[in-house]
Amino acid sequence: MALSKIDVANMVTGATPVANGGTGLTSGTTNQFLKFTGSTTLASAADNAGITEVDTWRLTSALTTSGAFLTANLERDDTYGNGLLGSGVTESSGVFTFPSTGFWRVFFQCNWHLTDDVRWANNKISVTTDNSSYNTAAVGATNGNDQGGNELSCSTEKIIDVTNVSNVKVKLYVSCASSQATWYSTNDNAVFATFIRLGDT
Amino acid sequence: MAWDKNGRPNHIEAALCAMHENQWFTWTDSKNKIYSNLRLTEKFWDSTKPEETPHEEGMMNNPYTLPTESAVNAKLKELQDAWDAANG
Repeated sequence: MALSKIDVANMVTGATPVANGGTGLTSGTTNQFLKFTGSTTLASAADNAGITEVDTWRLTSALTTSGAFLTANLERDDTYGNGLLGSGVTESSGVFTFPSTGFWRVFFQCNWHLTDDVRWANNKISVTTDNSSYNTAAVGATNGNDQGGNELSCSTEKIIDVTNVSNVKVKLYVSCASSQATWYSTNDNAVFATFIRLGDT
Repeated sequence: MAWDKNGRPNHIEAALCAMHENQWFTWTDSKNKIYSNLRLTEKFWDSTKPEETPHEEGMMNNPYTLPTESAVNAKLKELQDAWDAANG
């Protein structure tokens, strides 16, 4: 007698092969989805929901310097609909530590209020990959000799492959002509850095 | 802001910036920058050190002392007078 129905619930055990119309999986995992990984293989994979980390830090007090890393007076953006997504980076004495591995975009913007006629400024993102020595990884520069006014601005950014959160860290460097000052704000982002995790390493 | 839209110093932070370079001062409340909230930082980056210097080696102890309120106000007035003289 030909079968008109198959009792799948009771007659099939284990994984039904992909070639036979199955998934090759015996069970699924909450919040994961089926991912095609090759010619015939399906796998349960983490649900990559896109960007999961966004954070912004800013300078809260002005300074004059011929060149220095920012090591104090930094705060997380906390005004006007500030957007912290995920746990964010942590900061200690000017060293920023990432909360997770992955490809991270670091953007650093500076504005300067100028108090004399010698007008140049730059900012840098420095990175360590061994939690010790730092290298300049990105530079922004500006010169206002021909611009007039008393404000300058520049920015820079770096995409960093954070393979180890204990070793890969970031610092922010500013320099400007003597007796000039960085521009700061505690209510909006004038000297600030954003940290965005783009994806897995 | 420590300066108004024209660039005239209008807050004691402008005076503090003119006293010493680098991050030698901080505030107990960055949204309420009054003299009584002014503090010295313990350490800051030594600008004479190469940028690749390991972080802790590049930090120096703060050599400065907290200026008196009258000294800060006097410095601010000095800056304002100089700005007024230069900008009419």
